[in-house]
Amino acid sequence: MNHTTRKWSLRLVVVLYLGLLVGLPVGYLFIKAFSHGFHAFWVEVTKPDAIAALKLSAEVALIAVPVNTVVGIGAALMLARRKFFGSRALTLAFDIPVAVSPIIIGVALVLAYSRIGWFGSWLASHGIQILFSPIGIVMATMAVSLPYVLRSVLPVLIEVGKDQEDAARTLGAGAFRTFWQVTLPAIRWGVLYGVTLTIARTLGEFGAVLVVSGNITGKTQTLPIYIFDAWDQNFDTIGSFAGALVLASISIVALIILSTLRARERKLHVDLA
Amino acid sequence: MSISLSHLTKRYGADTVVDDVTVEIPESSLTAVLGPSGSGKSTLLKLIAGLESPDEGRVVIEGDDVTDVDPRYRDIGFCFQHYAPFRHMNVARNIGFGLRVRKQPKDVIDAKVAELIELVRLDGKAKSYPAQLSGGERQRMALARALAIEPRVLLLDEPFGALDALVRTELRQWVKELHRQIKVTTILVTHDQDEAMEVADQLLIMHEGRIEQAGEPTELYERPATDFVHGFLGPTTMFKGVSVRPHDLELVPASEGAIEGTVQSIMELGFEVQVTVALSDGTAPWVQMSRNEFRNLHVEIGSLVSIRERD
Repeated sequence: MNHTTRKWSLRLVVVLYLGLLVGLPVGYLFIKAFSHGFHAFWVEVTKPDAIAALKLSAEVALIAVPVNTVVGIGAALMLARRKFFGSRALTLAFDIPVAVSPIIIGVALVLAYSRIGWFGSWLASHGIQILFSPIGIVMATMAVSLPYVLRSVLPVLIEVGKDQEDAARTLGAGAFRTFWQVTLPAIRWGVLYGVTLTIARTLGEFGAVLVVSGNITGKTQTLPIYIFDAWDQNFDTIGSFAGALVLASISIVALIILSTLRARERKLHVDLA
Repeated sequence: MSISLSHLTKRYGADTVVDDVTVEIPESSLTAVLGPSGSGKSTLLKLIAGLESPDEGRVVIEGDDVTDVDPRYRDIGFCFQHYAPFRHMNVARNIGFGLRVRKQPKDVIDAKVAELIELVRLDGKAKSYPAQLSGGERQRMALARALAIEPRVLLLDEPFGALDALVRTELRQWVKELHRQIKVTTILVTHDQDEAMEVADQLLIMHEGRIEQAGEPTELYERPATDFVHGFLGPTTMFKGVSVRPHDLELVPASEGAIEGTVQSIMELGFEVQVTVALSDGTAPWVQMSRNEFRNLHVEIGSLVSIRERD
């Protein structure tokens, strides 16, 4: 095999692989969602239960994404800039929620916060209900999307090094200014990448949320659960396809925005030398 | 005395990186801290800047004990080995950073930045980003950024280490000239003895965390206090069982009563020629001489010569 043949056959393998796993299913989903025309699609998407599910998913993301971003950046700064006892255990703790199956996170949350769990009974006696409520959904979602920002930011922080921050300090800058004007601009791509992954995971989480939410239609149903319900319980295939398309589109749009921004930044030559 | 360090000690675990350093650095001097890598010289610089805190000892700048003062209040200009430019800011914004921190009015900052850009010869580069600059330009930008805050002390960590040979020699001269203009007390760290001898008016030789000797370059070269200083400041060769400078030896035509040997190798390095002579006692000292001296000697490999110390 000469060089050109090898190059092209390698490309063919990659394209086939991606086609079978991503292109074909997503493309088929697109066709199916519009199989009864745009109007049928629109009717499905604007059903009250679908709207409620979309709204709940958005609300959960609006809480989980900012919180996990702040926590992730803070933890990454701590791990990259200070040596302390237990730092490895901390990294491990951040990774556990994505290393185990989301179902386990859900079941563990139920154990801890249900009325039979010791913490849950204390909360219940104070009138706070975590399970089968949006609070539980937010907690489960935050748990499964915990390490994405940390994991995207930590290597960038280590690579950028401490010198710019030290330089800012000797020039008189305090911790607040140094973070906003020196550290954050230097790690911004890591942060954006981490946030994009967090958004995708937050909107898409199914298993952990299903266990803690109790799946109450119109109340504790997030978009993925609505899609599953439409598919599994109500034999509403168009509804399920339409919901799935909306969900997929949000994540794909986020990824496209990220890569466009990045390409423009590269063109301006202000990236790493 | 501008900077005075007393019993300064820094340990990393079991390693003592800076070991009981006591030294006075004169006001307005340009001092080079010279030592092999791992001798603790960069750590010493960071201790003065406050970027590391000592386990023992005090740092006093212009009479103020700053040992427990945060680096942001020490008024120190620090240039990092790899310049640490703020990559997302252009040259003008990099240089003006310290002034913005100090809440100077915009017109004052603009004037000062323009003045510094001219001083470090970066005219026309104000809007360029660090990625668009050459190594030497980045270095000069870092210097301007450090000078903008009118520091009491300027600290340079291996300032020429990452540059190619030609730019390096040029920048050395320029730094020396700059220091003559602005007279700020400057300490630079280097492992290159030529660089230190050329630029500095004070030398501080470090070895294994300790100060071996401090003083003026010529004084240290001529009267080294320890074998380490002697060996580190210039080439040495063994003659009659002692270590001497190869330029303190000379070759003469073979003669009665002098130590004789055979020419073993000849290395011609432009103006300088190095001749190694094998002696009957098994040693082989080398002699450094000028091209003219070598011509007049009329020797080749295998010639019989006499070797002696110059008067």
